[in-house]
Amino acid sequence: MGVFKKLVGRRRGVDDLIFDTVNIILMLILIVIMLYPMLNTLAISFNVSTDSVRGGIHIWPREFTTFNYEHVFTEATILRAGLTSVLRTVIGTALGVFASAMVAYTISRPHFFMKKFVTLAFVLTMYMNAGLIPSYLLHRELGLVGSFWVYILPTLIGVFNIIIIRSFIEGLPETLFESARIDGAGEFTQFFKIALPLSLPVIATVSLFVAVAQWNQWFDVFIYNSSIPELSTLQYELMKVLSNSNAAYGSGAGAADQFARSASGQIETVTPQSVRAAMTIVVSVPIICVYPFLQKYFVKGLTIGGVKG
Amino acid sequence: MGEPASPLAVTEDLKKVKKPKKQRKPRNGFKYFFRRCREQKELVWMSAPFLIWLFIFRYLPLGGWVMAFQDYRPARGFFDSEWAGLKHFRFLFSDQRFMEVMRNTLAMSIINLVLGFVTAITLAVLLNELRNVKFKRIVQTISYMPHFLSWVVVAGLVSSALAMEDGIVNILLMNIGLIDEPIMFLGVGEYFWGIIGASDVWKSVGWNSIIYLAAITMIDQEQYEAAEIDGASRLQRIRYITLPGIRSVVIILMIMNIGYILESGFEAQYLLRNPMNMDYAENLDIFVLRYGISMANFSLATAAGMFKTVVSFIFLFSANSIAKKLGEARLF
Amino acid sequence: MVKKKSFLLLVLLSLLMVFVACGSEDDTTTDSNDTSENSDNNSGEEANDLEPVTYHYFIGVAGSDLHTNETELGALFEEQTGVNFQVEYLVGDLMEKLGVMVAGGSYPDVIVPDHGIEMLLDAGAFIPLNDLLEEHGPNILEMYGDYIDRFTMTDGNIYYIPFGPTINEFMPNPNIDQGAFWIQRGILKEYGFPEVNTLDEYFDIIKRYADENPQIDGMNTIPFTGLTYDTSFFTFSNVPNHLAGYPNDGSVMVDMETHEASVYGDSEYAKRYLQALNELNAEGYLDREMFVMNNDDYLAKLSSGRVLGFFDYGWQWGQARIAIEDMDDPDKEYMALPITFDESIEDQYIDPPAFTQNRGVGISVDAENPERIIQFFDNLVKEENQRLVMWGREGEHYTVDEDGMFYQTEEQMAIVEDQDFRDDFGMTTFEWDWPRINGTFSDGNAVEARRQPAVALQNYDEDDLEYLEAYGIETFSELFAQPQDRPWYPAWSTNVPQGSEPAIFAERSEEILKRHYPRIVLADPADFEDEWNDFVSNYRALDVEAYEAFFTRSVQERLKGNWQFE
Repeated sequence: MGVFKKLVGRRRGVDDLIFDTVNIILMLILIVIMLYPMLNTLAISFNVSTDSVRGGIHIWPREFTTFNYEHVFTEATILRAGLTSVLRTVIGTALGVFASAMVAYTISRPHFFMKKFVTLAFVLTMYMNAGLIPSYLLHRELGLVGSFWVYILPTLIGVFNIIIIRSFIEGLPETLFESARIDGAGEFTQFFKIALPLSLPVIATVSLFVAVAQWNQWFDVFIYNSSIPELSTLQYELMKVLSNSNAAYGSGAGAADQFARSASGQIETVTPQSVRAAMTIVVSVPIICVYPFLQKYFVKGLTIGGVKG
Repeated sequence: MGEPASPLAVTEDLKKVKKPKKQRKPRNGFKYFFRRCREQKELVWMSAPFLIWLFIFRYLPLGGWVMAFQDYRPARGFFDSEWAGLKHFRFLFSDQRFMEVMRNTLAMSIINLVLGFVTAITLAVLLNELRNVKFKRIVQTISYMPHFLSWVVVAGLVSSALAMEDGIVNILLMNIGLIDEPIMFLGVGEYFWGIIGASDVWKSVGWNSIIYLAAITMIDQEQYEAAEIDGASRLQRIRYITLPGIRSVVIILMIMNIGYILESGFEAQYLLRNPMNMDYAENLDIFVLRYGISMANFSLATAAGMFKTVVSFIFLFSANSIAKKLGEARLF
Repeated sequence: MVKKKSFLLLVLLSLLMVFVACGSEDDTTTDSNDTSENSDNNSGEEANDLEPVTYHYFIGVAGSDLHTNETELGALFEEQTGVNFQVEYLVGDLMEKLGVMVAGGSYPDVIVPDHGIEMLLDAGAFIPLNDLLEEHGPNILEMYGDYIDRFTMTDGNIYYIPFGPTINEFMPNPNIDQGAFWIQRGILKEYGFPEVNTLDEYFDIIKRYADENPQIDGMNTIPFTGLTYDTSFFTFSNVPNHLAGYPNDGSVMVDMETHEASVYGDSEYAKRYLQALNELNAEGYLDREMFVMNNDDYLAKLSSGRVLGFFDYGWQWGQARIAIEDMDDPDKEYMALPITFDESIEDQYIDPPAFTQNRGVGISVDAENPERIIQFFDNLVKEENQRLVMWGREGEHYTVDEDGMFYQTEEQMAIVEDQDFRDDFGMTTFEWDWPRINGTFSDGNAVEARRQPAVALQNYDEDDLEYLEAYGIETFSELFAQPQDRPWYPAWSTNVPQGSEPAIFAERSEEILKRHYPRIVLADPADFEDEWNDFVSNYRALDVEAYEAFFTRSVQERLKGNWQFE
């Protein structure tokens, strides 16, 4: 009961108590439903793969092993790839969020004469897809193929992010900007001193979106840099491990040999399902850890928001 | 609310007074354009580099759309591929399954859109009502974890949850007594859209609620305090403060998503479809994959992309102008 | 005006910035990427030059990237030829990868484009190899011998080298790794090892066992199931063909006399099999989830030991096989049976000698000194090197008996079965996707160790022997008939142009089969005829004749020796 009181906190009447109780019960159910897939994946990642094939693993491994992780980490290149992943995530997020915020600021200014044009120019691109080959040819002309910057430049600005940031800046009281202008502040000053700091919660949100997108991306490595081991990323290395373990059980000569070899049944082996589970954990844990750091900016935004009126 | 907003009102008045003077000068033409550039050169400086970026990376490659009217072969390039006129569009629209594919696409897209919005907003509001900050953070962090699982993993879990013999859903329904016989959920085409919708909510509701939580933090706390003093109930506070506070974000997101009306998802359908439910599972993206990309027919894929763009624009502009007419926030 | 200029300047400047930023980066990376090749390629004039050189070898299937000289064999071959390869395997979609390669016009030095080969040939990405082979590939020419015509294009040029021509003698696999009706072998033991050859006998014995054992290990018995998921649907739709006594020629069966190809999707054979399944279902012996479960669900069911019988290709259910072996219940393991519709039909489950002439490895126009690559290939297909790739080193990995036949001792077997060893030694790398041979060496030993009867026998344990003895056979494949002579086999390896009518037909017909077959099987037996007729009318609405004509022509051209024709 003590825990429950702690969760409910101070309350003011029966209505509140009912509301909080229902809410907390809902949230507990939610935790169970949402935690299950992750725990299931974790359990499979630590279970002997040939046993996992039988199914029926829930939240605890039946035959414990770390072999699936050993298999995922066999490649020496994985550390280097991890570094590239971190680099592209950090640089991509910093530049991307900054650029998006800047554009968002300009189109949030009611007096900007190109406001509508710029907004539309950006928004329309959300629904137009040139296709893989034209994009590839362009990036080749720009010298981006075989370069680190192909991870950063083509996806620099997310239109969705611009619009989100814009609507937050528009929500800030115009009086703040007015008084700054009266004090002689230019647009850059207003952007850096007012718009950016006051929209920290949304900046944090957008940073999370961009960071996760960057971290999870593997397709651009595949298309542009697959022949250059130095530019490989963690996600791409893991995709390799996964498609390799898929192939070992798929069609072709390799599979026939796998079949013959399996006759003795002594070798510890991996299945696509187990590799996928281990991979999911390896890739998602670092990025899940990022969020709690961003959460504090939500609270900060809250206090600033409180002051702004 | 009812507070006096004097500074704002004053500036609005000032603007009104100033305007008539300017109207004498021409409102269009290069001269006007450059004059405005000069006046707002800082804003121009801020946006120009990104407009150039936009032109290069987003508009320039659209020249590749020409391949929709060709029998494009990568070996020949855009200049030497044979012209095909509207062949690929005809292939797309005249296929006997096109109507069925469109029906599935639209149905799943609309279900995902509505379910997605309702659940994410509800979750954000409920999370916001949690008083214990630590508990709130834990719930939130857990709620978006499924977002990091790939569809392959989620589809596997969905499929085993819906299994006939030991699937949790059938076991629950049997125990409650709602059914006497286990249901083969994935074997009935009519259930497919619902299954996709529910799986999509499971995977992304937590992630989608983040944006609304961020929006809620921007709401003025004084409003809540004032409401509490006035004796407003929790539900009233949600209804009169929280929801109006995130209204404009919701509407903007909705307009953007309505533009994605033909994007009903791909992986979930691809992984959960089977011979028994294929008539309800196949959407435009799967169709294009089968007859376009996996047959190296990039022209067909491009034609389908152009078709999607046209439909997107129609829905986008309609949604935006409806929002405008209703006096709501709009996208542009 | 000044302001106008400054605005233009701004535009130009930012454009410049974008270009400089990416341009400079690009230069440095391409340089570092190219150095290994440029510095090495200076003096490639002389034929027997051993100057070290590294080529980029792209393979359009999955695998683990490596440099060939990181493996023991690769290092040896580098010593012999001076050539090393940076091998890159495919990760994503093959068509997308090849599409940008061709559109951009820059290629890896060596490419194995798998089923995307048409696109590269169309693009002229490969150089003709005729002269190079003449000059630097005597061993390749000898090993591939008569097969060379099969991959010589209509313009008289050879653009790629397929894998695995059968030389000397054809060696069938002692174990069944192809299609078969599998049965939990304990059932056979229970009923005194009867001969089960026809579909009726097969279903009868399964039904009888299921009636007597409604539960296995506390779980409901699944008498019969099969794989139908996604791209594995052929595992279900191919069955009538096998029951009728034909090997896997694709979606057509080829008449042995007229050599006409005909689709069997709506044949009497298909109807007969579906009717049998329909009855099975009506009696409650068919897995209800047969058309719903995905690959993982299917494997989980097989692994549980409660499935009595199923049809599958051996290489598709390896994971379940290992799981069952781990259970230490030898009677739960599965045995392959050569089931046909009736006794008069000779089964043809075992593949005839096959040569997939529309897959192979080619050298791209971007490769410098391509003769070095041919020299490497030529060295690789020498018997002594093929023996190293397939068997390892004599004494270490295999032993030679007094008749000169190879076998593996228990210790040697343990070594070569270890995946890590195979990777490090280079067996995994070179056993496919490189020029290689099949069949037997000139001394009569099988090229592939697993096809050597002595090796297969060595692998059998006590329990296996019990079954083998009961049926009076030495290897499990002896239950099956020997493959008949089908010089065109496999018909499915015909070069089908991408996006052509036959390609679209294949996609559409699979769609119709997928939609109708389950309905027919699960229908009330009274509605069976209606469902079947409904399917046939839909299926025949496609241009079936054109598709059949396409393959008939291919088969007949092949019989005339024309494997490439227009």
